[in-house]
Amino acid sequence: MNDGAPLVSVRHLAKRYGGVVAIADMSLDVSPGAIHAVVGENGAGKSTLMKILAGVVPPDAGKILFDGEEIEHSSPQAARRRGIGIVYQELSLFPQRSVLANLFVNREPVRGGFVSTRVMEDESRDMLDRLGLSVDVHALVGSLTIGEQQLVELCRVLLEAPRLLILDEPNSALSQRETERLFAILKSLSARGTTVLYVSHRLEEVFAISDRVTVTRNGRDVFTANIGELTIPAVIEGMIGVHQEELFPPPLPARADGSSKELSVSGLSSPQLREINLSARAGDIVGLAGLEGSGVADLLAILFGTEKARSGAVRYPDGRGLPRNPTDAARRGICMVPGDRRRNGLMLDKSILFNISQVIFGAQKGALSWYSQRLARERANRQIAQLRIKANSAASLANELSGGNQQKIVIGKWLEIGPQVFLLDDPTRGVDVGAKREIYALIREMAAAGGIVLLSSTELPELIGLCDRVLVLYRGRLAGELKGESVTSRALLHLINTGLLEPAETIPRESMAERLQ
Amino acid sequence: MSTIAPPPAPAARSQRRRGFRLPDEIGVIVALVVMMVFIGVARPHFLNPLNLLTLLGHTTFLGMLAVGMVFLLAIREIDLSVGWMFNLSAVGTALLMVAGVNPWLAAFAGLLFGALLGLVNGLLAITLRLPAIIITLGTYSMFQGLSLVIDRGRAVVPPDQSTSYFTLASEKIAGILPITGAVFLTLAIVMHFVLHRTRFGYRVQAVGSNPEAAALAGISNATVRLQTLCLMGAICGLSGALYVGFRGAIDPNEGSDFVLAVVAAVIIGGTPLSGGAGTVIGAVIGMLIIQVISSGLIFFGIDATWSTFVTGAVIVIAVSLDQFVKYQRTRRLQRLKERASA
Repeated sequence: MNDGAPLVSVRHLAKRYGGVVAIADMSLDVSPGAIHAVVGENGAGKSTLMKILAGVVPPDAGKILFDGEEIEHSSPQAARRRGIGIVYQELSLFPQRSVLANLFVNREPVRGGFVSTRVMEDESRDMLDRLGLSVDVHALVGSLTIGEQQLVELCRVLLEAPRLLILDEPNSALSQRETERLFAILKSLSARGTTVLYVSHRLEEVFAISDRVTVTRNGRDVFTANIGELTIPAVIEGMIGVHQEELFPPPLPARADGSSKELSVSGLSSPQLREINLSARAGDIVGLAGLEGSGVADLLAILFGTEKARSGAVRYPDGRGLPRNPTDAARRGICMVPGDRRRNGLMLDKSILFNISQVIFGAQKGALSWYSQRLARERANRQIAQLRIKANSAASLANELSGGNQQKIVIGKWLEIGPQVFLLDDPTRGVDVGAKREIYALIREMAAAGGIVLLSSTELPELIGLCDRVLVLYRGRLAGELKGESVTSRALLHLINTGLLEPAETIPRESMAERLQ
Repeated sequence: MSTIAPPPAPAARSQRRRGFRLPDEIGVIVALVVMMVFIGVARPHFLNPLNLLTLLGHTTFLGMLAVGMVFLLAIREIDLSVGWMFNLSAVGTALLMVAGVNPWLAAFAGLLFGALLGLVNGLLAITLRLPAIIITLGTYSMFQGLSLVIDRGRAVVPPDQSTSYFTLASEKIAGILPITGAVFLTLAIVMHFVLHRTRFGYRVQAVGSNPEAAALAGISNATVRLQTLCLMGAICGLSGALYVGFRGAIDPNEGSDFVLAVVAAVIIGGTPLSGGAGTVIGAVIGMLIIQVISSGLIFFGIDATWSTFVTGAVIVIAVSLDQFVKYQRTRRLQRLKERASA
């Protein structure tokens, strides 16, 4: 950070698609060498801003100064020549080609008339090492993990040595370790003078790496400030205009007397899990946390019947053991809201009507039972009203809805059977803040109505704001349990990343706001 | 039932919009009518009821298979062995009749035998976790071979064709509509409702639309695949058994070229290759279109050998239209999304 002239200066930018305003009036300055974060809800205009900077879409009004020079009639090629590199949220690699071919796409080095892989190797080795990407550079990109692919894409952009590096939610597919490495690289790039513009919705990370933050809402910049002057609640307040505590509704009084209902797991082991013990009563919201590969996903899969346990005893509220398969689970009122709703939760080319009936109709016994359109419509309309799903009608296709509304359909299809046990895998992933708040209220409702909720989440505020207690898994074993007031960001991070409980806390923490920090 | 008190259902608004929608099959129906009017104007004899009924007769046996194939395409599968399942069931039926079994019983056994062949396909596909197209590529030859072994390459002709089964199978309702044609149309209507109004049909669409989401909603992919392949076999058996009654014989090679016409009819009818949806009515119309083309060519005095070429051309046109419509739809959706996310 220095106080010289800004590298990028955006002045009163506006952009509309058809009748919809994407950016109303956006201004910001990015100092050279800074890591500048842009945060905002879905639809705040972040991605459009990045696309304009990268020359993909032209603005309607306003101007952009790059290095003091006004940019006119930009194109992706022109932006690249100017030194603007962008890593998109969605990968733009060629899966059927090698890592090297992807790194040098369209600018393959030529020696003696032939494309030289040796030169490619030499030129890319250093960058790959710095990124900690130890893959065979001749392997096909499609054979890498999503996290590795994302690093390949980043590497491709970095090899062009951009002056301004734009990252649009770059770590959505990265593991914790890969994310940490990415951040270290961004810091060192910034130290060497590269300017980084970073779009994210994970505020903890924004606070961990950026120097300045611009908060956007409804196509306008709300404020820009140095990170030292901000707190997470203040940023969220800027993004949605309410306090963060209001995001998490307080526990509701239990309506059903289901205290006798209990889910107990003892000594559960599988190839990925070792001796897991846990129990949850009706009305409990129990958090599950852990790094990727820690076993949280496997635990949920076993409890839902998609994976098999090797040993251990499990007892559900209905007095029976593990479901044999998902069909058995669905018929017994065990519900699973999967992390990847588009892949695992929805039939995108089908209507809301069709999707809501998945479990209550599709999963039940009797192949030739009559499918009543009237009942299906009633079910769909009931969930549309109850979950406030924004759609033209029950006949709208799932694909036409926003992420938050899609997630509500996935939840709604389960609510129709009135489940006893809710297994929720990151239920607010990629959902905007407004819909998040509604989903949190729903989770509270599930518990109040006598359900047992297991909530796996990658977002710490969620675990802190909603859960009575949080179980942390580390390398397949239960590393520890945090209860009530001891559920804090610090304690959680420590336990998640080291597998060890934090040394005894000296200062008692009182308020939610403090615990969230 | 739900964990949350159900609010009053606001059903009125969305229900009012129904009723005005044209059925999805309107495109192929129009195509068929236009084609028939065109041929009819040029060669009025074509529209002679007798000729039209012959046309329906030709459509019957292949059309039945197309009805079953709709379900397969809807779960993103294809059964290549349909022609030989048809043939083998027919040969079995005829041989039982030759052996002196009551023709009605023999026909019923033929239907069950077809279902058994389908079950073999299904069990192989779900235990080996392979697409049905691979499995049936193998069973295609297996069933063909079995058929050759048992009929020794000769036509099987049941001896006494004066029994009630044969007279009824070649009977015409009110002197015009062949019984077999009526059976075919009934089957099509029943299967239309099975696809759209039963749990099995719902599951077929769900599994075809997104197998992973269906599995995680408690809909077993394996069960649905097994049931669908078994249903396909049963329909082949029914078609084969009826064929024996209608023709009074089964040729050793009858059925060898069925599969392409059957899949073509389903695709022309508008069932998407990407699965998740299907139209039985469309498949019936599709098969009619294929028959109208081949008999229309004869009316124009064009050599019948051209009909295969024309059928192929119609498939290409149908698929291009389908692709065009899909392209338009994705573009519209993209524009909608861009606006929404903007």
